[in-house]
Amino acid sequence: MYTTKLYIPKSDEIMPSKRAYFFRAGFKGNPIVLDDIMRNLANSIYARGLEISEGRLFYKTMPIEEIPKLVNGMIIIPEIFKNIKSITFFVSTLGKKIDQAIEDYLAQQKVLQATLLDAWASEALEELNQSFDAWLRDQSGEGTRRFSPGYGDVDIRVNNFILDLLEVDSVCASLETGILLPRKSTVCMIGFEGGNYETK
Amino acid sequence: MKRNKFSQLLKERILILDGGYGTEFFKRGYGEMPGELLNLQVPEVVESLQREYVEAGSDIILTNTFSANRPKLASLGLEEHFEEINFRAVQIARKVAGDKVLVFGDLSSTGNFPIPMGSMDFEGSVQVFSEQAKILLDAGVDGFIIETMTDLKELKAAVLGIRNVTEDLPVIVHMTFDSSLRAVTGTSVAIFASTFEDLDVDVIGINCTLEPEEMLPVFKELAKYTTKPLSLEPNAGDPIYDGKNLSYKMTPEHFAIYIEDFVDLGANIIGGCCGTSPNHIKVMKKLISKRRPVQRNISFVQSFISRTVYRTVEPFTIIGERINPASRKKFQEEIVQKNYSTLYDEATSQEKEGATILDLNLGIEKLLTPEHFKEVMVELDRRSSIPISFDIQNSEYLEIALREYPGRPLINSAQVTEKSLESRIQLLKKYGGMLILLAMGKGIPKTPEERFEKILEGIAILEENGISRDRVLADPLVLSLGAKKDPRVTLETVRLLKEAGIKTTMGLSNLSFGLPGRAEINGVYLAQAMEKGLTSAIMNSGDIFVMGSMRGALELRGEMVTEKEKVVTDNPMVEALLSGDQNQLKSLIEEELKEISLLEVSQDILGKAMEEVGDLYAEGKIYLPHLLLASETAQPIFEFLNSLSGEERTYQGKVVLATVEGDVHDIGKNIVGTVLKSGGFQIIDAGKDVPAEEIIEVVKREKPDILGLAVMMTTTVGRVEEVAELLKKENVQVILIAGGASMNAQLAERFGCDEYCKNASVVLEVCRGLIKSQE
Repeated sequence: MYTTKLYIPKSDEIMPSKRAYFFRAGFKGNPIVLDDIMRNLANSIYARGLEISEGRLFYKTMPIEEIPKLVNGMIIIPEIFKNIKSITFFVSTLGKKIDQAIEDYLAQQKVLQATLLDAWASEALEELNQSFDAWLRDQSGEGTRRFSPGYGDVDIRVNNFILDLLEVDSVCASLETGILLPRKSTVCMIGFEGGNYETK
Repeated sequence: MKRNKFSQLLKERILILDGGYGTEFFKRGYGEMPGELLNLQVPEVVESLQREYVEAGSDIILTNTFSANRPKLASLGLEEHFEEINFRAVQIARKVAGDKVLVFGDLSSTGNFPIPMGSMDFEGSVQVFSEQAKILLDAGVDGFIIETMTDLKELKAAVLGIRNVTEDLPVIVHMTFDSSLRAVTGTSVAIFASTFEDLDVDVIGINCTLEPEEMLPVFKELAKYTTKPLSLEPNAGDPIYDGKNLSYKMTPEHFAIYIEDFVDLGANIIGGCCGTSPNHIKVMKKLISKRRPVQRNISFVQSFISRTVYRTVEPFTIIGERINPASRKKFQEEIVQKNYSTLYDEATSQEKEGATILDLNLGIEKLLTPEHFKEVMVELDRRSSIPISFDIQNSEYLEIALREYPGRPLINSAQVTEKSLESRIQLLKKYGGMLILLAMGKGIPKTPEERFEKILEGIAILEENGISRDRVLADPLVLSLGAKKDPRVTLETVRLLKEAGIKTTMGLSNLSFGLPGRAEINGVYLAQAMEKGLTSAIMNSGDIFVMGSMRGALELRGEMVTEKEKVVTDNPMVEALLSGDQNQLKSLIEEELKEISLLEVSQDILGKAMEEVGDLYAEGKIYLPHLLLASETAQPIFEFLNSLSGEERTYQGKVVLATVEGDVHDIGKNIVGTVLKSGGFQIIDAGKDVPAEEIIEVVKREKPDILGLAVMMTTTVGRVEEVAELLKKENVQVILIAGGASMNAQLAERFGCDEYCKNASVVLEVCRGLIKSQE
């Protein structure tokens, strides 16, 4: 068995730039000029997101020969991963509370707050992935670009296989659609010419 | 670093300053020692903190010299180490900075403001900053920052002090404001920014007092009023003291949430103040590392400014002409004798009549001395005067008056001759403001076209010297109708100037000199001139016909004169207090004494009037200088009432005030003392930096109703608890109140205080309430 490891980010590793957050929420311009009411609201949502996020990232690195080529007829390793010797699979999540908070806002007809929190969480998750990505490449070398099922030639339902591989219970994927729960979660892989994996 | 290089750097990227020093030293176990002494005794602590700031991403670190000016060190008994402390501070910072990070010399208040807000002579204040800047410069700083200033005049002294020793290095100026957009001395953000727009500084900013979220509206205001690069250093929230440790509630992450908002508003330099740590800087740096400075499109609004009053030039500036003893022999004699009562009366009445600014002409200058100009400027400032037009011919006297002036002046005037312009250009560069440019050289041109050309000639010379045409009020020259001069020449010149986008003014009353029916002539002519585009006039604001013509002409243009900012009160006693009119106050009191008892006059009449003043202050309708002026005006009247009382005690209560041990700030305590005295309390001032045991001794001896403790520094806030515990231990019965920048209601409660006083405006109400509850 190759062991799954846990990466717990520091708070600042899930802090997206305001610009990215505002863009994701639909604001435009350079600089993005918000009136005081909107700015205060956007900031309070940022603070709320930061407060309730439970950022976690599970990862496992395996040699290429140990990874099946196909699962249920779907390829796992994308075509673009050429000349690699290992793959690091990882699943990142901000946890359930964010989903719940967005739901609560919607239930209270606070669509703006829900939209802002959703945008913030998407960018926060990307920030987490980038932080881990940078840390991993420091350990393992340059590697391929970060890749997620659902893009290119890898079916989104491969998410299930990777979650099983990582033995992660706190994130699950729909068997039919591959959609992840909690919603603010991602499944990714990066290929390396070497690889810091533990042998069997 | 040369100023132009620094300016280029600010265009290219956002620079990160470092964070808190005092609070970090406290956290690291050095809270008991004056921070600056660490430079000599434990330099590795300073070095280690600065290294952490550099590792966190600071582009600029500050020397550990915030309180290392001579008066501050003297108050700590460290004056003999003045030079060494400053020199070593630069050495330590330079060692850490290497050649990748900039080192800025850090300066701040002496703790004693220049007169009138404090007791230091202005030139003395300049000298204090100059000598500190010289050491920092010689030791190798790349620039200077003046932080946490609350007095506009002291900040001006600091800038002049630094510029005495170098014109080559950049200077950053910071004031500290509360969320009402005012500094404690009454200066608004707009006044600060607009005043320093013209002065020889490179960056304008704010720091301390507020956390990032609260600072946003203050910063937004700052960005509106200056075209200079901007900087800021917010606090990490309010201090929390658990009896042992001092901490700030705001995490680095929460702090950083707001930082990009400042970038969007145009920040060029961002750092942290009290409570911020290397970690705050690190998180902040990460979030804004990819951001570039935003280009702000600000068109600076021309304005005239005093310490507390901001007036725009347009739509129309009424320059009150009556502080001028020409043809008023008695007034001239009074001035020579240094009796300024008529002068101040004229200032007050013109302001009430609606003058935008006051022309200041002390008459025959050969009869006067530099002290005349100093005294008048200081007293007008103390009375929260509206802005001043300096109608002073002698260049030496003019410069003396400008140095003492905390604001943006109008210099009246210059002719278009090399000699006249040269001296005015130097003054405008050094002290900022605007200039009345006369449409004449050695003689007065006859035609409108010639006068217009003369103004253009003068403006070209000014612009060559960096003074933009926006800073000019062109005077097309009004000549006496009685001398058969054609007034239409002036009107046509106004029209030509208006078409060229040049603002104008005129000495209106010259027109009717020696003629009957002056008001009608002046009023109609003013309306005609305004129709041609006149922006301003030196005129008699007390002339109802002329003022009415002016308002009518403005209404026809669809505009209104800038509204008066001063408070209108229905209470004549409050009015007398706010205008510092002791004679009027005394006569009002004497009238009351005919009807009611001494005690009632003291407590219910004068006391209530002071309460109203306190309310006006609390509501932000008047500012600290007004409050102090009112208090100082009331005090002699209370003493007068006491002298009449014989055995009858008219004091409301007795209060001992002290600044706690380790804290040398006493401005706040003195302000509170002044306000309480004016409210009829007897004050015993135990001083500053007073150990708990000594405070208890004073309380035992004086047996006051209330003990008031002031604490300004976060590192000394725990001393309040010490005093409270000692009072308990020794079973001393007294009401304990505390206030100051580092206190808050929670801390006061935790320490066992009976009340927390947020500021001087509430102290009277709090003390009265406490005394009443005792009764």
